[in-house]
Amino acid sequence: MNTTQISEFLEQQRWPELIAALRQLPPEEAAKQMEALDDDGQQALFANLTVDLAASLLGHFPYYHQYILLHKRTVEDMRAILDQMPVHERLQLLDELPDEAWEQLEEEIGELKRSADDAQVKTAPPAPPKVAPPTASRPLTAPLRELPLSDQAHVDPIIEARGLEKSFLQPDGHNVQVIAPLDLSIYSGTVVALLGASGSGKSTLLRMLSGLSQPSTGKVLWHGKSLSETIPNVAIVFQSFALFPWLTVLENVEAPLLARAVAADDRRKRALRAINTVGLKGFENAYPKELSGGMKQRVGFARALAVQPEVLFMDEPFSALDVLTAENLRGELLDLWLDDKMDIKSIFIVTHNIEEAVLLADRVIVLGRNPAHIRADFRISLPHPRDRKSPQFVVFVDYIYKVMTSPDAVVAPPTHGRAGEASRYPLLPHARPGGMAGLLEVLIDLEGTEDLYHLAERLLMEVDDLFPIVDAAVLLGFAKIEEGDVSITPEGRTWAEADVTTQKKLFRDAALSRILLFQQIAKILQEKSDHSIPLELFRDILDEHHSDKDIRRQLETVLNWGRYCELFAYDSEKERLYLPQTTEPEGSTEEGNPEFPARRDS
Amino acid sequence: MSELIDHHAHGAGHFAAIPSASLPWRKRSFLIDIPIFVLGVALLYSVVAMARYWYGPLTPQVEIDLRARALPLYALYSVLRIALAYFLSLAFTLVYGYIAAYNQRAERFMVPLLDVLQSIPVLSFLPGVMLAMVALFPRRQLGVEMGSILLIFTGQVWNMAFSFYSSLKNIPTEMREAAKLYRFSWWQKFTQMELPFSVIGLVWNSMMSVAGGWFFLMACEMFVLGKRDFRLPGLGSYLQTAASEGNTRAILYGVMTMIVIVVLTDQLVWRPIVAWAQKFKFETVEASELVRSPVLTLIRRSRLLTTITRKTVAPFFESLQLRFAKREITELVSGQQASLPRRIWPVVIAVLAFCACLYMAFKGVVLLSGVSAPELKLITQGLFATFGRVTVALVVGCLWTIPAGVAIGTHPRLAKIAQPLAQIAASVPATALFPVVVLALVKMGGGLGIASILLLLLGTQWYLLFNIIAGASAIPTELEEACHIYRFSAWERWRKLVLPAIFPYLITALITASGGAWNASIVAEYFHLQGRIFSTVGLGAVISQASDDGNFRLLFAATIFMAGTVVLVNRLVWRRLYRLASARFKLEM
Repeated sequence: MNTTQISEFLEQQRWPELIAALRQLPPEEAAKQMEALDDDGQQALFANLTVDLAASLLGHFPYYHQYILLHKRTVEDMRAILDQMPVHERLQLLDELPDEAWEQLEEEIGELKRSADDAQVKTAPPAPPKVAPPTASRPLTAPLRELPLSDQAHVDPIIEARGLEKSFLQPDGHNVQVIAPLDLSIYSGTVVALLGASGSGKSTLLRMLSGLSQPSTGKVLWHGKSLSETIPNVAIVFQSFALFPWLTVLENVEAPLLARAVAADDRRKRALRAINTVGLKGFENAYPKELSGGMKQRVGFARALAVQPEVLFMDEPFSALDVLTAENLRGELLDLWLDDKMDIKSIFIVTHNIEEAVLLADRVIVLGRNPAHIRADFRISLPHPRDRKSPQFVVFVDYIYKVMTSPDAVVAPPTHGRAGEASRYPLLPHARPGGMAGLLEVLIDLEGTEDLYHLAERLLMEVDDLFPIVDAAVLLGFAKIEEGDVSITPEGRTWAEADVTTQKKLFRDAALSRILLFQQIAKILQEKSDHSIPLELFRDILDEHHSDKDIRRQLETVLNWGRYCELFAYDSEKERLYLPQTTEPEGSTEEGNPEFPARRDS
Repeated sequence: MSELIDHHAHGAGHFAAIPSASLPWRKRSFLIDIPIFVLGVALLYSVVAMARYWYGPLTPQVEIDLRARALPLYALYSVLRIALAYFLSLAFTLVYGYIAAYNQRAERFMVPLLDVLQSIPVLSFLPGVMLAMVALFPRRQLGVEMGSILLIFTGQVWNMAFSFYSSLKNIPTEMREAAKLYRFSWWQKFTQMELPFSVIGLVWNSMMSVAGGWFFLMACEMFVLGKRDFRLPGLGSYLQTAASEGNTRAILYGVMTMIVIVVLTDQLVWRPIVAWAQKFKFETVEASELVRSPVLTLIRRSRLLTTITRKTVAPFFESLQLRFAKREITELVSGQQASLPRRIWPVVIAVLAFCACLYMAFKGVVLLSGVSAPELKLITQGLFATFGRVTVALVVGCLWTIPAGVAIGTHPRLAKIAQPLAQIAASVPATALFPVVVLALVKMGGGLGIASILLLLLGTQWYLLFNIIAGASAIPTELEEACHIYRFSAWERWRKLVLPAIFPYLITALITASGGAWNASIVAEYFHLQGRIFSTVGLGAVISQASDDGNFRLLFAATIFMAGTVVLVNRLVWRRLYRLASARFKLEM
């Protein structure tokens, strides 16, 4: 029975036939068929399955969908389904669910029974991380792809990217691959969020999809035709608003219409309409510098809407705004979209804010970096309005954190044929020792381990700020990440609780034993007769694989860490690293802030 | 807020937010229209009259009338020359800067070329340009006039071109992306993005260029070239003649006229433009201190101008935009690459230009090879002498401008008095005063050797002063407070705070000042006055004398030496210091 038949039967609500058909397939197949349906159909179908069929199929859905599907049934059914599920599938679901979701489930169904094998009782303080039982589900490390949303209707995508790849030629001649070849399609009627840390290439990807820049290889098709044959009807809302300060609001919004040779009266009408839609009526003759940040972005929106684009691209549109304004605009955008007041077919929003993505999007694509590649591509089937605090919401946010912190299976393809060299110098995370110490202290307060999502919430930090610190702590062996939880290691605990001098020594030991670059620096400094090296040497080594900006940040981090743990001293005028001269005997305590060690004049 | 509404109601023409009947000042606008109308007519007439004069027969030896009533006419001639040279420079700037910014291959030689051209002393072009123009129009006054205009052009254009080029390169990426994404036509991009972004830089550079233009004009309205004695009716020749005849009253009238012209230009031209250009400031929040210009407000209220703009200018530009937009669309849809003939043209022009350059270089080398040994000795001696003079002038300049500038920059109350005074003093072009100064010094019994240093100083010290004032006023108050609390002695404060803080500004100023000093040496070291020739040992003197004698070979060689020295010093000394300044002394915290 194929998907069209299923959807037909679904429309006619012929449950017995559907149940019979699904029973005949192996559970994984049946689940796949169901996933090919749209969200409403899927949920309706699941709600009408028999309990035993539901129990056998449930485990084959991604855990965040399992949670939603479960809640489409009555409480007794939920209990029954969970009881009848195969043990390992149930355990896996319970493992993967974040605390809030767990707690809500327990509240609804009462204490959940576990099998006799598992002696643990889930009480308030989290137990040390347990080994996950072997499971038939897909491991988190593989890129997660679901079936495209409209596969069953065989709808053609508006934009289709095939084998899209982007490399940049560095000033000194070598190529740095920023985006590894990837495929992507954008369909009508969806809001797609592209998530990734800063520098992961998501803005570059957006520019290629919108036709603003050319890919190095691969192509982008607009309604099936290449971009050299047709002109796509798209608009972009920029992070820094990109308004022309010398034009009034009205003139700014009219500008793209002018470019399309629309006559003055018509232009004015359309522009005024767009300005009205975004709520800026009355400000037509204002200049951008008279407006607040939120209003400026509204002008950006109005300008984008005035051309009635098919796809609206947004490049981190709310990150330059304060939290409250951003929240307000997000809500208004969602309202306009859901009420279909904007006359656009699809929205593609690039963001580094995970909550924003879950709040707005129907489909989330998570991008990994160096080079950029798709790590996950999944649907969010929550109904609007979405409540940030609801467990369903939290399930998705937690899932994204898991994806972003799980080890990345994709390794950069070797450049220049130097297969081994490519992974020789992975980039150091851009974090300071002070930040790491702070993180570990927080973890100690929280009894040693915490869910990353909760940590970010508690510290009011965004992914971009938190991940480098966590990564740095993991790199040095002071913490570890498992399934979206970060916990402090014994070495980390020792380090966080030591005094200043010991901290520096421990840091130095950790850096020397775990980071190749520092090993090399130490070795060369020892061997050279004058015990000094120019910084240029490392710039050249790093040069091969990374962009200029990355290299500069790397060197900054290396210098920061090296000076902190007194591995070397650095003269910024001569740009040389020196072996620090010990002027005090070993073991004496040194006064001073670890962040600002006393400067030794060499 | 009401002023903003005014401004918008006018600027936006038909988008008046408030019905016109309720605004009281409208009734008076008629009175403003009359002077504007009269001014327009006067301008038109003077342009026509000038054109007629230029097209008249060539009269190189104009008798300069030293009576006061001849002054307005002479002043008008000089002003028109400057204005024409300025518009020529503007046009060249827009083209040159645009090509350099967008064509990568062209950029690689166009930008260093600007650097070199900026370093060549303008006045050494004087003979060549003049003779060429006169040869082109042997029987008409036009030739000589064009010569002087072209000369001023060569003094004005390079810094404007560089400013426009660097503005274009600094346009924020997202703004460019917006223009590209929304498929702005070439014309729309130029008028709505590129030109507005560059306006502020262009305005300030224009002010500098025009001031520089006066400097050269004064020198080149009256000069001797071989056997020919050129004299153009204008303020410069008036002053030179007056000084030559020792007519102190005429000198005074002349200098006063100069000051009046400068003040009028400032109030009637520059201030309104600067006030208008604030609209183009690339800032996110309105600055608290706005430059106001009553003239601009008056112009804005003129009903006549608004009606003319609305009825003729605006529709014209609108149709222009639409025409370009339509062309852009058809081009995009047909997806053509530039057709073959269009692509060939730039290549052909480049090849021709290259051949022309080669030919001229060849001729130049031939000319140079004829330079004799004593001539070479003269050049080298002169080079060292002038180098020494320039250095002394700069050092002396620094000696007084640094303390004065720091005092003015750090004491706002002092600045209120001192700054306008300094600006007036600075606005009188030094070359206008040269004859006076030389005569005075000669009467006192000094030789031109010392006097020329003073002349160099006159020409460059104001630039130093203003830059140092800017640097001193940029010192953050917190650093001053830290010095005060930690009880730095005056010497320590100067050594650790003031001097490092003004260092970048000082270097920028010195770079321009030294170039200006070399330039000025051509007029400062060799003087025709009262039938006598004053001169001293120096490269500037060599150049002037060579053009006097018609010795083109020597002229060419000396100019090359001077230009070469300036470029060399630029690269070896100033560039290094500038890099040091930006690396170590930039005030960022």
